[in-house]
Amino acid sequence: MAIVKAEKTPARAAPLSERSLIGWLHKNIFSSSFNTILSIVTLYVIYITVNEVWHWGFADAVWFADSRRQCFEISTDGACWAGVIGWMDSIFYGRYPRDELWRINLGGLLVVLWMVPLWLPRVKAKVFIGLSTVFLYPFLAGYLFSGGGKGVFMQVMVTLAIVCLMGNTLHSVISLIKGISLPEFLIRAFGKSTAPEKTQHYLLLGILFCSFVAVYYWQSSWQVEAVSWTKWGGLFLTLVVSGIGIASALPGGIILALGRRSNLPFIRVVSIGFIELFRSVPLITVLFMATTMFPLFMPEGFVLNKLVQVIIAVCLFNACYMAETVRAGLQAIPKGQFEGAHSIGLGYWQTMGAVIMPQALKHMIPNIVGSFIGLFKDTTLVSIIGLFDILGVLRAVGKDVTWLGLHIEPLVFGALLFFLICFAMSKYSRHLEVKFSTGLKNMTPNKRNKS
Amino acid sequence: MAIDNRGRPAKHLQPNTSSQKKFEFFHDERVRSIFYQALMAAAVGLLVWYLYSNTAHNLEVRDMNTGFDFLNVTAGFDAGFKLIDYEPGVGTYRDIYILGILNTLFVSVLAIIASTLLGFVIGLMRLSNNWLVSKVALVYVEIFRNTPLLIQLIFWYIGVFSLLPKVRNSIDLSGGAEVLILNNRGLYMAWPVPGDLLWMTGVAFLVAVSVVVLFRRWAQKRLDLTGQGFPTLLPSIALLILLPGTVYLMTGAPLEWDIPKLEGFNFSGGAALPPAFLTLLVALIIYHSSYFAESVRAGVLSVNQGQLEAAHAIGLKPAQVATRVVIPQAMPAIVPPMISLWMNTVKNSSLAVAIGYPDLVSLFMQTTLNQLGHAIEIVAMTMAFYMTISLSISWLLNIYNKRVQLVER
Repeated sequence: MAIVKAEKTPARAAPLSERSLIGWLHKNIFSSSFNTILSIVTLYVIYITVNEVWHWGFADAVWFADSRRQCFEISTDGACWAGVIGWMDSIFYGRYPRDELWRINLGGLLVVLWMVPLWLPRVKAKVFIGLSTVFLYPFLAGYLFSGGGKGVFMQVMVTLAIVCLMGNTLHSVISLIKGISLPEFLIRAFGKSTAPEKTQHYLLLGILFCSFVAVYYWQSSWQVEAVSWTKWGGLFLTLVVSGIGIASALPGGIILALGRRSNLPFIRVVSIGFIELFRSVPLITVLFMATTMFPLFMPEGFVLNKLVQVIIAVCLFNACYMAETVRAGLQAIPKGQFEGAHSIGLGYWQTMGAVIMPQALKHMIPNIVGSFIGLFKDTTLVSIIGLFDILGVLRAVGKDVTWLGLHIEPLVFGALLFFLICFAMSKYSRHLEVKFSTGLKNMTPNKRNKS
Repeated sequence: MAIDNRGRPAKHLQPNTSSQKKFEFFHDERVRSIFYQALMAAAVGLLVWYLYSNTAHNLEVRDMNTGFDFLNVTAGFDAGFKLIDYEPGVGTYRDIYILGILNTLFVSVLAIIASTLLGFVIGLMRLSNNWLVSKVALVYVEIFRNTPLLIQLIFWYIGVFSLLPKVRNSIDLSGGAEVLILNNRGLYMAWPVPGDLLWMTGVAFLVAVSVVVLFRRWAQKRLDLTGQGFPTLLPSIALLILLPGTVYLMTGAPLEWDIPKLEGFNFSGGAALPPAFLTLLVALIIYHSSYFAESVRAGVLSVNQGQLEAAHAIGLKPAQVATRVVIPQAMPAIVPPMISLWMNTVKNSSLAVAIGYPDLVSLFMQTTLNQLGHAIEIVAMTMAFYMTISLSISWLLNIYNKRVQLVER
């Protein structure tokens, strides 16, 4: 074979029609006479819309004013954002005492601190961190938000939560720096890495007990002022209701979905009935049911406050929706996985816990995030039955004497806020879908389905 | 696993026969299944009994009566929009229930039809090869999908339909013909009043439809047998218009229009739709069309690219590719999510309660419940309605799924 040329011929640049702006325009916007007309019409529509929005929302808008009247004096056809800015605290925190807002902010900060390790690839024991967020954080946050005296139960739970948070944080920091877990680090620090397993366990238990006692004494003197739930409101209340809904929907949904797929007829029938009942009616009817029927269900003299009623209703409703998401995920698991697990002698709970659920949950995550978006949006319905959530505050702005009639701007602001949160979540879920679909790439028949 | 030199499990792993017998009974699958179910039944029974006894006690203490007798009591409040004859003080709460159901169904059906059509258009725009058009559709979908329906609903109500001009300055949407008038009291439109002989036009239309069906069937058969097509589209349209049209004119145009007229401070005559209805309709259409658009897009994209290339390769025209290759294969992927979205539309129409459109929840679950109590009966009746609708829609879905599966085989 004769070698004609020693070096590889460098690749030629793509033709001009492929890489230039003109080429792109020709291909995507002006490819035919019909498309050209369509593009021009669309451009005109975009121009009108953007122009209107720009003038109303920015160019002619009033940002600083003391009342709506003043807004009108400055500009008559722009938005009066001053009212929204004036009500900003209420939109976020409702009627929560202004001196105590740090408690809400601290609560928010703590949940971020608690959950950040879940996104750090080097940190191990993510299941524990996730479970502790769901089961312990609510007690700490609940006390932080409502305050007042603590019973023995609350004292213990708050202590556990604080110990767990400290442990999580230390564990994450140590994992990031040294690449080992917190127990390992402690054992090495005490020079017991060669000691028998039993000694190591006792050492760890001892440390845990000491920190528990220390934190218990520290927190027993720590008390914050009581704030009634009627003062809760704004985005804070929306996040509390949807947060509890989200946290309880997943475990509840998993239980209901397993019940629905159970071999035991009675359990299956009960699960199906429960799921179908709540899935076939609108959320607002469930909320009305909660506020009108729960008082009848309770023993005489036992009064649930409206917030608790609503939270229970939201939890039941969402667990049933989540159950269907989980069921879809379970159905996607091939039968061979169940049979394989049975054939190596695993029982029902071992099969589900060790083989099926880990695979199913991974594939379900995008859909679960999707359900969370729906749940978060649906939480605005609690304003209909009289809770002062973010929508309740947004509607109250226009009834305030200084801002009388200012309805549109708060609603637009609220819609924007929801859009940012939900859009970010849906982008994230799409990102997860791509990330988790690595093993299944060959199954997607269509390569152009990229976005 | 530990195995000894004879290939048997180690001593401590071999089954212990004496203790095995003891546990055999509990490890029997049937025994355990009965045991767990009995446990569950006991738990459910206990819960139901607990709630029932509490409720019975509470009702007794508060001296509240139960039962459905309240349905025969005359109701004293009026509804802002009604499709049946109802007079406050004459009609009963049963009429209120029926009125609510009809109002819910009316707005839902209109919203479903319109949002499905709009969703198809937006979904196809999303798939357009024109970059601008597809991005506009994307922005539309993302904006309306990622904001709560309730905020959109209240926005349309306060921001658009409450700002319409007063009656004196009504907008004439029909451009001077005064048959479609919009103001802050609602939308007024001319309404047909059928004459005596209108039924003949109806019969003519039915005849035309059946002739067209037979004609198309014959044309298809001819195409299958001889390979020669026969133009069907134009003759069908002509028949559908000409036959009923001729009968209508021959019977003397037996259709009068009741046209809304300004009398005093308001319009009278014709049909009127209140602003709350228009708001709910518009909000439902826009919100759900963004969901429909996504399911249409996903369905069309689920058709294998190779199918399109093959269709083009055998020389089908773009329209044929769409109707013969893409649509038949995309429909099974589009229809099931679409039907559950229809269900969502019916459920979301209950947000009417926020803007005062008298739907079932607003009339029955709010007003009636506030006036009479009877929480259990009213909640049960309302939920029963939604469950009936939901179950019938899933039944339809099942039928569709079965049909699609059979076709595939």
